Amino acid sequence: MNRSDALIEIDGIRKSFGTFEVLKGISLNVSKGEAVCIIGPSGSGKSTILRCINGLIPINEGFIRVGNHRVHEMRSEKAMRPLRHQVAMVFQQYNLFPHRTALENIMMAPIQVLGHDKAEVEDRARKLLAKVRLSEKADSYPGQLSGGQQQRVAIARALAMQPDIILFDEVTAALDPETVKEVLFTIRQLVEEGLTCVLVTHEMKFAREVSHRVCFTDRGMIVESAPPAEFFDNPQDPRTREFLGQVL
Amino acid sequence: MFGLDYSWLSDPAYQQWLLKGILNTIELAALSSCAAVIIGLVGALALTLRIFWLDAIVELFVEVFRNTPPLLQMLFAYFTLSTLGLKVTDPSTGLSVPLLSAFACASISLSLFGGALAIEAFRSGIETMPRSIIEAARSLGYSRWSRFWKVEAPIAARICLPALTNILTNLFKTTSQASVITVPELMYYAGQIYNDTFRTLEVMILVLLIYVSLVSIVTFAMARLERWMAFPGYGKGH
Ligand SMILES: Nc1ncnc2c1ncn2[C@@H]1O[C@H](COP(=O)(O)OP(=O)(O)OP(=O)(O)O)[C@@H](O)[C@H]1O
Ligand SMILES: [Mg+2]
Repeated sequence: MNRSDALIEIDGIRKSFGTFEVLKGISLNVSKGEAVCIIGPSGSGKSTILRCINGLIPINEGFIRVGNHRVHEMRSEKAMRPLRHQVAMVFQQYNLFPHRTALENIMMAPIQVLGHDKAEVEDRARKLLAKVRLSEKADSYPGQLSGGQQQRVAIARALAMQPDIILFDEVTAALDPETVKEVLFTIRQLVEEGLTCVLVTHEMKFAREVSHRVCFTDRGMIVESAPPAEFFDNPQDPRTREFLGQVL
Repeated sequence: MFGLDYSWLSDPAYQQWLLKGILNTIELAALSSCAAVIIGLVGALALTLRIFWLDAIVELFVEVFRNTPPLLQMLFAYFTLSTLGLKVTDPSTGLSVPLLSAFACASISLSLFGGALAIEAFRSGIETMPRSIIEAARSLGYSRWSRFWKVEAPIAARICLPALTNILTNLFKTTSQASVITVPELMYYAGQIYNDTFRTLEVMILVLLIYVSLVSIVTFAMARLERWMAFPGYGKGH
């Protein structure tokens, strides 16, 4: 792939917390419409990669470009606003705002951050709630929703920002097997619609079926990156083999 | 009944005193409560800026006013502020009077005392905010300022409301100490009445009942506010 064609271009990023180096030179390109899954053992730096992409944590070294934004050069939250508009994120623990209803959670940022028209945003929010099949829960507070429902509201909230890219950080890890399906169904739909997605996941079957490419991280490095069929059926790196042997 | 004599209550002069005392107590409590909440907000907000010298000032303020007796604070305020020599000429009488009356000194001292407690309460409300909520707000593009007002403050407000109720009832009761610096509030007039009538027990029982009723109004209002602001999953929400 031509580097400049990539929507996300990550080159040699390093990140330390104190003296502990979490990312030891990560490089990764994601092109428009691509769905990339990141898998790997706990603590290998998967969440940290996602947080670097949308500037939630600053990096120590390296280069990150998302669209026209040179993320590694951005310093203030204000400067990152256009980036955050382009890149949305969905978290393992949903992180909905507990004091607002499902509908309000979806509407808040487009109105308060992007300054979009309220009526138009409400219309958009209701359509998104319908899309994640939660129209009847518009007026429920997060505390009144199940985990799976909260997560789908969180996805709708991310979509309401009309992002080009969504980062998913183990969004099904806190859910029971039944509700996992609902959430994965929603994500699969987004990938099929051509939204660019970077997904950290433990759902191997899902990764295989949905993603265009799978990356395996271990101790702060991407040790293998391949299309899913190749990755799962014929892993090259011994660490990948060992990991897949444990989880499959 | 029980040998209690309340005949003095029919005297209009004493009724006047009681009424004046109640009104002054309410005024003092209301003023200092509002000021305390404002001080609390400003102080807690200042702490979120994480500026070294500002933190030190707020910290010192909280320590001083939280760790000293409010009565001492009030006497201190009275004897320093009222003798600062700030005088104004009363336009109606042409007399020179101190700029800061005893009432003003009491209000200031109670406001600072309540404010210090409020800073602590609001600060802990902000600090117990889950980091993940803040991260979600950041990822949605909220700036620091709008994140505070739209996300952190509303959630923190609900978290610290019970603590605020305690502070306000505490403050209401502490207004009685203003009698010591001659502010004519309820406790002050109570003293005047029993000095006159020698009906100490009767007066105290009545004043006690009045305080219970007044403070109950505060707790009732705060409970209503808590219920109104509650949301499922936090505090009184269900
Ligand atoms: N804010 C932080 N301060 C210090 N250390 C951190 C911080 N965030 C992450 N780490 C450390 O960095 C390492 C990688 O964390 P990260 O969350 O990226 O792992 P992960 O691959 O997402 O793991 P998991 O699958 O458990 O979510 C961990 O060892 C973690 O303890
Ligand atoms: Mg993680």
